[in-house]
Amino acid sequence: MISREDIKALNTCIQCGTCIGSCYSGRFTALNTRKILMKFIAKGKPIEENDAIWFCTSCYACTERCPRNIPLTDILLKARRQLVKEKGLPGRLDKAFKALLKTGSLVPAKDEHAKLREDLGLTLYTAQFRDDAREEVSKIVEKHIGGLI
Amino acid sequence: MKFFPGCMIHNRYPGIEASLYYVFDKLGIKISPLEGSSCCPAPGVVKSISEELWIELASRNLSLSDEDILTACNGCFTTLLEASSKINGVDVRHVAEFLYREVGIEEIKKRVVKKLPIRVAVHYGCHFFRPSKSKGMDSEKPIMLDELVEAIGAESVSYRHKFVCCGGGGGVRAAATEVANDILNLKMDAISAAEVDAIVVICPLCLHQFDVGQIELREQRGEDYDVPAIHYIQLLAIAMGMDVDKSGLVHHNVVTAELVEKLIQGEIME
Ligand code: SF4
Ligand code: SF4
Repeated sequence: MISREDIKALNTCIQCGTCIGSCYSGRFTALNTRKILMKFIAKGKPIEENDAIWFCTSCYACTERCPRNIPLTDILLKARRQLVKEKGLPGRLDKAFKALLKTGSLVPAKDEHAKLREDLGLTLYTAQFRDDAREEVSKIVEKHIGGLI
Repeated sequence: MKFFPGCMIHNRYPGIEASLYYVFDKLGIKISPLEGSSCCPAPGVVKSISEELWIELASRNLSLSDEDILTACNGCFTTLLEASSKINGVDVRHVAEFLYREVGIEEIKKRVVKKLPIRVAVHYGCHFFRPSKSKGMDSEKPIMLDELVEAIGAESVSYRHKFVCCGGGGGVRAAATEVANDILNLKMDAISAAEVDAIVVICPLCLHQFDVGQIELREQRGEDYDVPAIHYIQLLAIAMGMDVDKSGLVHHNVVTAELVEKLIQGEIME
């Protein structure tokens, strides 16, 4: 969760605009990380379901360039977690996390992919293809986010 | 070393894995797959949902190996490196920085049996060098990949927006495909203007974004770029003597006859 330190860090912002200028996602979308973080976090307002918060590619360019060393990307990821806690998993990520629960992979292999591996002389050895490993992974996913999926 | 494939290499671009084994065999470095491993899990998207889930799955993957772990994916590299520093686990390397730092450019040059005189646009991918502190790399303009590409006789062409994100990371490809493709559109305009034979990446997620994203840009926006993307290890394997067929390139979505021809021909070394 957003900590007192995060808020303290956010409050050292000198509004230089470097973060926004570095953000390629912000060039095309309403993503304005500093604004999201300031409004909803530093000022203590609850985070709203806001599409733009899902447009960050977590490239860390803003964080690396911020002259006050504010960990913007990590705080934004925390803000997403807080949002998920309140509002649940966003529908568009539902499929990927269902796959993780079922197969141990966010992007599972289908038959055609298994066949391609075979053609290239490779075996199938990840958790998706090992019953014991897959069950172990499923249990971990279930434990942490089973209620969300 | 143990090779950690992650979802994208194991399940979508296995040519990267076949190429990597070929290269390491030629270099005489022992490597075997990390069996029973799961999704790394992907740093941006899983940390957006649950940090506890992220660290527990990553720790499980790390605990499967008592040898150093090698990845060929920027996302797996980021997750496993960060998790390992938290739990004091085994060392985690990315194949590009491993080749550069441990094998070295001179040694790679010596191992090339067929130079590949093609023009390429290199794309590092954000998570290869950032966060820069844990990666020990230049946070703005790394040069490793440019040098690696030139070591096999290719030309790394400078182009606008070279260090811009591919658009696929952080769950954006899954959660907001339109936004991912807007960023890709900008990137592809610049790459197209540079007139290259291929885009060279070091991450299967970037590869997927360039490879599948270009098809979507064509179908949805009528933008026909047709510039194949390839992982550096696939190119290196070909330069070290692997059949182009076995590199998996022909199974990518975007692939041109010209590129395949140039890679088959190459420039045989004496
Ligand atoms: S770069 Fe840092 S200091 Fe500058 S506006 Fe952004 S958060 Fe504030
Ligand atoms: S980490 Fe997110 S908010 Fe920061 S520059 Fe990258 S895309 Fe923009």
